[in-house]
Amino acid sequence: MSDELIQIETPFAFNEENQREFDKLIGRYPIKEAAMLPTLHLAQRQAGYITPAVMKYVAEQLEVSVMKVKDVVTFYPMFFEEPVGEYVIRVCHTLPCALRDCKEVLDHLKAKLDTDVASETNLAKGTTADGKFTLMKVECLASCDVAPVIMINDDLYKNLTPEKVDEVLNNL
Amino acid sequence: MAFVKLNDLEIEVEDGTNVVEAARQHGIEVPHYCYHPGLSRPANCRMCLVEPHEFFPPAGAIVPARQLATGCTTVLRTAPPERKLDGKYDSIVYTDSPRVKKAREDILEFLLVHHPLDCPVCDQAGECDLQDYSYRHGHDKSRYLEVKNVPPKKDLGPDVLLYSTRCVVCTRCIRFAEEVSGTGELGLINRGSHDEIDIPRSHEGVPLQVLDNKLAGNVVDICPVGALISKDFLFKSRPWFMEKADSVCSGCSVGCNITVEYKADGVYRLKPRFHEDINQHWMCDDGRLGYHYVNSDDRLQLPLKRVDDELSPTHWADAIATITEKLSEVEAEDIVVIGSAQGTNEDNYVLQQFAHDVLKTTQLGLFGQSPGEEHKFPQFTIEADKNPNTAGARTILGSANGNVVLEGDALWEKVSNAKVVYLVSGASERTLEDAEKAALESVDFLIVQDVLPSEVTQVADIVLPGTTFAEKDGTFTNSTGWVQRIRKTIDPPGEARIDWEITQQLAKQLGGEMNYHFAGEIALAIAENVPGYADATHQKIGDAGIKLT
Repeated sequence: MSDELIQIETPFAFNEENQREFDKLIGRYPIKEAAMLPTLHLAQRQAGYITPAVMKYVAEQLEVSVMKVKDVVTFYPMFFEEPVGEYVIRVCHTLPCALRDCKEVLDHLKAKLDTDVASETNLAKGTTADGKFTLMKVECLASCDVAPVIMINDDLYKNLTPEKVDEVLNNL
Repeated sequence: MAFVKLNDLEIEVEDGTNVVEAARQHGIEVPHYCYHPGLSRPANCRMCLVEPHEFFPPAGAIVPARQLATGCTTVLRTAPPERKLDGKYDSIVYTDSPRVKKAREDILEFLLVHHPLDCPVCDQAGECDLQDYSYRHGHDKSRYLEVKNVPPKKDLGPDVLLYSTRCVVCTRCIRFAEEVSGTGELGLINRGSHDEIDIPRSHEGVPLQVLDNKLAGNVVDICPVGALISKDFLFKSRPWFMEKADSVCSGCSVGCNITVEYKADGVYRLKPRFHEDINQHWMCDDGRLGYHYVNSDDRLQLPLKRVDDELSPTHWADAIATITEKLSEVEAEDIVVIGSAQGTNEDNYVLQQFAHDVLKTTQLGLFGQSPGEEHKFPQFTIEADKNPNTAGARTILGSANGNVVLEGDALWEKVSNAKVVYLVSGASERTLEDAEKAALESVDFLIVQDVLPSEVTQVADIVLPGTTFAEKDGTFTNSTGWVQRIRKTIDPPGEARIDWEITQQLAKQLGGEMNYHFAGEIALAIAENVPGYADATHQKIGDAGIKLT
């Protein structure tokens, strides 16, 4: 094997608050492995993105192989394996939003933030130089009645126009 | 037993048999990728689709056209009397109806969407399920015009390479790592048509864990396509150029059933062969990659004789003459004959006959490879005893009247008091402890029979070139009492000879009445004279082996 194994220099562990949250979570599922998604969300919230150290820690906590965690992390686009901006802006581009001109919203955001759109394997492409924003396109956000919508971190913004986008960004 | 109509055949199968196996038992092929009899059944490749009528509608009910179902998960069972189909069948299954054929063609077309046309440079060509099924069940051309996914080639571990482009994502390897080896190094990354098999890596591609468990090589065997490839065999030979012989692994006392694949110039690879009670479908990498010594350039090819404190090559006549002269000079009690746990039952039988009948000594010993570590996996165990025939050698050496088989310290004490020792080794990796070495050095005349220069040949006065498991016929008895056959594949190198032939030659020179021509003949003598081995003739042992009772 030409590749060396990765050395984890700073191990990851839940802080006290997240540890309490995790203990509560685990109780909800019949097997530990079933708590994979909420545990990963919790870890990502603490670490910013899923590093090898996080994967290893989560695998240990859930008593599964590291590969199982990697498997889930690469399957879902909401888990990041590289650093992202402080605000992650998800622009819905599924049909109803597209019909209500989400492209205009997206183009406006691109111009305003002066960044490209991130791809799943290259988040840096959609992250602003100051590391404040990451812009990405996503599939349906389940709010077609108020299209077009975007989601910034955990908040949903509805019925957007370029003017409203400006307002939203200014209020962040 | 379930009475099943399979196409136009009426067959009886045991309850719980799946359609793929039931069809296989009756010579009908149901093509499949993800299904493997030794693993769980996710039914994800969809290749084994069949048309079953297996539900038992109440009499008079209108039965709608059935959906196709995967053969691997369609289990055949006895139906209650009132629910028999056509009044007598427990189940009706078609594996060759037009619907099934069309479905297979379509599934294959999907599986081939991203598959490259690189059979000419692919190691698997010739033993590839994708190739075979495409030929037998597929379309003659591709309708896919778009750009193919080209995932990278990956290094998964010490002996395994992944050509991701060729992968059909059947997940056999993942299930193997989870269920059989229990190590879980493998998984799927990404999603949908971008699915790839991989080991856990950082985003930059540096591995957190590699596929280095001792059963890793099995994933290459179970890969139905050319995606997982053994580095050891990569680009060595086309499978159809190799001869194959059924044999038994000589790496430890488990006695995994193997197929030795060889050409005239050497052994090319070992593959596991199914045995329900011993190794199932698997073998370990120690055994799989442990054949290299057979092909080694260092193999002993001529007898060696110590002249002026140095071993120099001589010819057989001289070696035999020197030995017989020494043996006839000493008293029987000064001779120790040591058999090998690496040797076959036949080798050891001739050796004890030589000791007992010709040399009139009852002082025998058992020598073999140093013990290694035991490795336990959820469905497999590698034993610590690194000899294939400890059990057999022990019984057979001690089979004649009054024979004592010494092992360990008792043996070395005996050796240190002996004048002549005839040591059959074959365990060339065996390291000697100081006391053992001193005991051997104290012997006036040490005859060693081995396959490679080793620590024992270093102290020998005469060295006779013997043969490995790949160069002779015979039987091994494993730790659980299974007697199984090994078969000659290649010729011994140079003037090396089969171990029992060398012993017999010595016996003849000393006036012994021994005249075996082939190993099977010795096995008949074993069957007659060794308690418990009455059924252990080559004919009765056959391919499946027999278990001693």
